[in-house]
Amino acid sequence: MPDLALEIIDLIKMYGSTPAVRGVSFSIKRGEFFGFLGPNGAGKTTTINCITGIATPSEGTVRVFGIDAVTNYRETRRLVGLSPQEFNVDIFATTREILHYIAGFYGIRKRDREPKIEELLKRFELTSHAEKQFRALSGGLKRRVMLARAMVHDPDLLILDEPTAGVDVQLRHDLWRFLREINAEGKTILLTSHYLEEVEMLCGRIAIIHDGKIIAIGDKSAFISGGKKLEQRFLELTGSEQ
Amino acid sequence: MNVNWIGLGTFVLKEINRMFRVVLQTLISPWISAVLYILIFGKVIGSRIDLIAGVKYIDFVLPGILMMNIISSSFTQVSSSLYFQRFARHIEEILVAPFSYLEMIVAYVVGGVVRGLIVGLGVYIIAIFFTEASIEHFWIFLFYAFSVSMVFSLLGLLVGLWADGFEQLNVLNIFVILPLSFLGGVFNSIYMLPEGAQTFARLNPFFYFIDGLRYSMVGISEANTIIGLFIIFISIAGLGALGWYLFKIGYKIRS
Repeated sequence: MPDLALEIIDLIKMYGSTPAVRGVSFSIKRGEFFGFLGPNGAGKTTTINCITGIATPSEGTVRVFGIDAVTNYRETRRLVGLSPQEFNVDIFATTREILHYIAGFYGIRKRDREPKIEELLKRFELTSHAEKQFRALSGGLKRRVMLARAMVHDPDLLILDEPTAGVDVQLRHDLWRFLREINAEGKTILLTSHYLEEVEMLCGRIAIIHDGKIIAIGDKSAFISGGKKLEQRFLELTGSEQ
Repeated sequence: MNVNWIGLGTFVLKEINRMFRVVLQTLISPWISAVLYILIFGKVIGSRIDLIAGVKYIDFVLPGILMMNIISSSFTQVSSSLYFQRFARHIEEILVAPFSYLEMIVAYVVGGVVRGLIVGLGVYIIAIFFTEASIEHFWIFLFYAFSVSMVFSLLGLLVGLWADGFEQLNVLNIFVILPLSFLGGVFNSIYMLPEGAQTFARLNPFFYFIDGLRYSMVGISEANTIIGLFIIFISIAGLGALGWYLFKIGYKIRS
């Protein structure tokens, strides 16, 4: 497999005549824990949607492990797991049903699905909530279901769009530990979050997108040099602080 | 072509499970309507009507009632499923999965056909309590039931994509499907109409669908079978191609 897990070249996404992403280029190496930051409406989710197939790029190239995500989209879909910012799920389905359906969509046989689902239910402490409808779960439990769903087909690239939004402190810490573990196992992770201390703690490399353009990219050390916190640097770069 | 068979099977299963989750609405409701139609039109009114086209009135109207239910159920299954998935955004689960556009369409259409056939089977079983409900040409019966439910599943797919609200979702059903079904000869022979209206009735595709099923059940036909078959095949090919194109460009499902 190629060294690059994700390669985005000159990505443009227009909504009518309004540009949401304006010539974004960056790449993520295999096994990296990559932070993708930006203020609300900067183009983070649009970029993620172009990678996963929820949006169609207007121009540019998206490659997942060297495979074009537009022309060979079926191959790239198998390699990517997405935990979206919003709960895009059938709210009347139970946790177990959700995981079963998604595993099936990715071509996992029923006999192979069962142990994988049990493992994920256990890992995300969802076993006692497996037969509950999604709509009956608390915000934190819903977020866990989203994460389990993203991982049910064992993707090589995991995209987590604000996975800790609305999650309590305990779960957030559990999640951090879990993400470190799977990253150590070789999974490539792209993380967006408004909790900058989380990104600072977890990610090795960071990109900041603002107004549809990448305004800074590099190793974490470059952002926090001179005793600065990532949050401070972020506010300087995005012009959110005078 | 590399088909995602397990994915496709799961997708179909999900659609069918959705149908059984709201069984009162998807199955019981059309069966109750069918009982009322058969009872009122077939038994109560039909007992006062002489033979029509050589058969008892109840046997004449039964294929029409059956076809009306197959059409309506297939259409509603797909249009409402797709619309709700768009509305609640869990269509994204499908978009990020490794499905071809054809597989997506096939899954929705199979869901629609299954519901159409289950509703049709239920109506047929109900009819047995009121009349002989004979089927003279079983394979032709099955062909019309299957192919017409496929046509309306595909139409439901397009409406499910197009609709931006619940009102739009019901527009086609209320203003096109229901009136054309009634005017397509569910309750009357085309020869009961004035001559001018007969020409108009022959322009109604529903007339050919109902007539085909009626022929398979009671052996009488008032329509040109070739035209009927042509309409069915052209509709499946045309609606299928349009659906595939709309999925490919992501019409109202992909930003």
